[in-house]
Amino acid sequence: MDMNSLDPRVNRLSTNTYPVPNEPTAPLDQFGTFEVFVQPKGDKPFQHEGIVHAPNLEMAYVLAKEAFTRRFVCVSLYVVDTANVAASPITEGDVNIYQRIEDRSDQPGEKLSYEIYHLTRRGKQHVHAGTVQAVNAQDAMVKAKHQFNSGKGICSVWAVRTKDIRFTLPEERDLWNTLPEKKFRDASAYKGGDKLSVFLQSKQKSSDHSGHSDNADQ
Amino acid sequence: MYGGGNTFEGVKTDSVAQEDQVKLGEFEGRIARGEKIEPSDWMPQLYRKQLIRMIEQHAHSEIIGALPEGTWITRAPGFKRKMALMAKVQDEVGHAQLLYSAAETLGKPREQMIDDLITGKSKYSNVFNYPTFTWGDCCFISWLVDAGAIVNQLANAKGSYGPYCRALERICAEESFHLKYGHHCVIYLATGSSIQREMFQDAINRWWPPMMHFFGPADMISTHTPVLMKWKVKMGTNDDMRNQFLDMYVPKIWELGFTLPDPNLAKNSKTGRWDYTEPDWEEFKRVISGDGPCNKERLEVRRIAEERGRWVRKALKSPQAAYVPPLA
Amino acid sequence: MNNIALKELLYKIADDQLILGHRNSEWTGMGPLLEEDIAFSSMAQDKVGQSLAMYTLLHSLGEGDPDTVAFTRRGNQFHNCVLVELPNGEYDFSLVRHFLFDTAEAIRFELLSNSSYEPLAQLAKKIRGELRYHTLHANTWIRQLGSSTEESIARIQASLNFSLPFAMGIFEASPHENELIESGVFAGEKALKQRWLAKVEEIIHQTDLHLPDLNTVEPVPGGRVGKHSEHLQPLLDEMSEVFRIDPTAEW
Repeated sequence: MDMNSLDPRVNRLSTNTYPVPNEPTAPLDQFGTFEVFVQPKGDKPFQHEGIVHAPNLEMAYVLAKEAFTRRFVCVSLYVVDTANVAASPITEGDVNIYQRIEDRSDQPGEKLSYEIYHLTRRGKQHVHAGTVQAVNAQDAMVKAKHQFNSGKGICSVWAVRTKDIRFTLPEERDLWNTLPEKKFRDASAYKGGDKLSVFLQSKQKSSDHSGHSDNADQ
Repeated sequence: MYGGGNTFEGVKTDSVAQEDQVKLGEFEGRIARGEKIEPSDWMPQLYRKQLIRMIEQHAHSEIIGALPEGTWITRAPGFKRKMALMAKVQDEVGHAQLLYSAAETLGKPREQMIDDLITGKSKYSNVFNYPTFTWGDCCFISWLVDAGAIVNQLANAKGSYGPYCRALERICAEESFHLKYGHHCVIYLATGSSIQREMFQDAINRWWPPMMHFFGPADMISTHTPVLMKWKVKMGTNDDMRNQFLDMYVPKIWELGFTLPDPNLAKNSKTGRWDYTEPDWEEFKRVISGDGPCNKERLEVRRIAEERGRWVRKALKSPQAAYVPPLA
Repeated sequence: MNNIALKELLYKIADDQLILGHRNSEWTGMGPLLEEDIAFSSMAQDKVGQSLAMYTLLHSLGEGDPDTVAFTRRGNQFHNCVLVELPNGEYDFSLVRHFLFDTAEAIRFELLSNSSYEPLAQLAKKIRGELRYHTLHANTWIRQLGSSTEESIARIQASLNFSLPFAMGIFEASPHENELIESGVFAGEKALKQRWLAKVEEIIHQTDLHLPDLNTVEPVPGGRVGKHSEHLQPLLDEMSEVFRIDPTAEW
């Protein structure tokens, strides 16, 4: 199939054929999702930024690194399967979600580490609040109520089992080293003001000049 | 990059009367208070449906929009332009990714959206159905089409749906260099050799009609859906957006010594709005329905990209996975 | 130390990065998965950005400015290995090339971080994180595609068999090898190739792929001395297409 395109890349494709398949796209052709958390600076908490579609946790980490940490300066990243994020309901107005989370007595069973995230306002992102020891996600939220409830508006809580997370390894921290230098993506690298001023001034001069000539001809 | 203007043509609002009126009242109260709607909230069917449609079309516009500029990456003149263009086009693909994710929170899987794009069921911004013949065309898109998209995006960022707003916040932050880069390219063409000036003037002459179509049909021939404005899904009329764009950019184009191919284009001091030759809305309809210069190619390239990737995705898939919509 | 040897080294590295960066950039907007499209694009930008850093070093050593050097030379003046100029083909070839080349590149810069030529050592240390990502990405993909479906294993294997002769061209010895080694500028292509092979074997052994015995692989040299395939000049013509409209203009 020859597309005779203006796009040389497209013309390079033309030598192969890509027949329209008979079967419809399979479910999860684009994979399930993983939630992505980014640390903007060393002393700041991790914050939820979005999702990537990926076939597994390791690939999610590799893909999230460029999808979410290629542009703005940051220092670390981690990912977790969406299915492994326990999410509380979201509250109305000023209601604090912890008011809705009932206290429970200590649950039996092995205690595991859970990461807790708070949403302080609809429209913002969930931010890491701390780590608790709990037997399950529900228990983790109860523990978080006692440890991290600041009393201020928290409209939603997420709990994630620590071992489900693919963290950045210590030796991987240099992955973001060159970000601050990549000025070619800053608006400040494209200041055309000077060139424009020079151009406008010369335009002005030539129209002034032609005005003088007219006068001189009289 | 997104024009958006024609997304809301022919919307039927009958379903609203069938909704639980108490829940509807609470929902509308939340929006009126300026509180965002999040994925787990109750929402009217029409809201969910129109949002999916709008966000999905925006996503499609980004991934298709990556093609007319992407073709110029290898040919970009010099390192400065090349690095910028690579990053810009990559951002467009990234924005598609962010937007599909936002639409997914409403319950439609990403592969369904991609299928609908390829089969022609879902639309994308009409401006990308035109070819980029020269570097000047590429610069026109980078500056002015981007500028148009930003007018829309800034408006939509104040909308009611949380995930879409979060995506737009990120998109607007990433876009800030796109617009400056585009203007920078054009300044160099304008202040350069006569070959460069003519190249851009030629591009303007060809791209101005699609640019006037960008914000969608004129208000007087559009169907209006007040409920979508009330629900902060549609944030302004097509003509409002178009006038904002003209206000901001026509002076900048004229200041560079370029002309626009519309003798009637002028700011009307009495109305405070722009006068212009009414764009050809029949042409717009024709192109957006599939009969433009590049429609077939854009979709074919997209389809081929998906086809070429099929073995890759198949090889990575695990049979046990179950679909869970994203959270936020 | 002799600048000729140093410049030759810098040119071949820069040309590799420039050409491969361009090839990889051709996938932007057309990748097999949106997230992977973004990732591959980032690595292409890294390559072009790194080539700019290298051409800038060359400029400080008296060579032309980066734009001139990168976009106006003829094919026979380029010192990239033939591997990087080949057309992209399908994703299996592009991934395998990425794996073979970037594994070598990461080791090359690891070696260069000890270079006696200070600016090069600095640059090598600076981009270590970028190259870490490139190899993390390549290894993750090769491991996964190299052990899953019959089709993916067959495709990756075929691309591996096809690419290896060209990959040998990465290590084509420079006429100044000894001088570079003795002056401490660079540990040499032999050392690089040895370490590269060990790393490639390590990854391939984690898959269902088979690495052919390199003694049976017929190398395709020539790139380092300006002998290229028919694919380079068209790419260079494309890269300079707009430039040539008005060579005196500022773009």
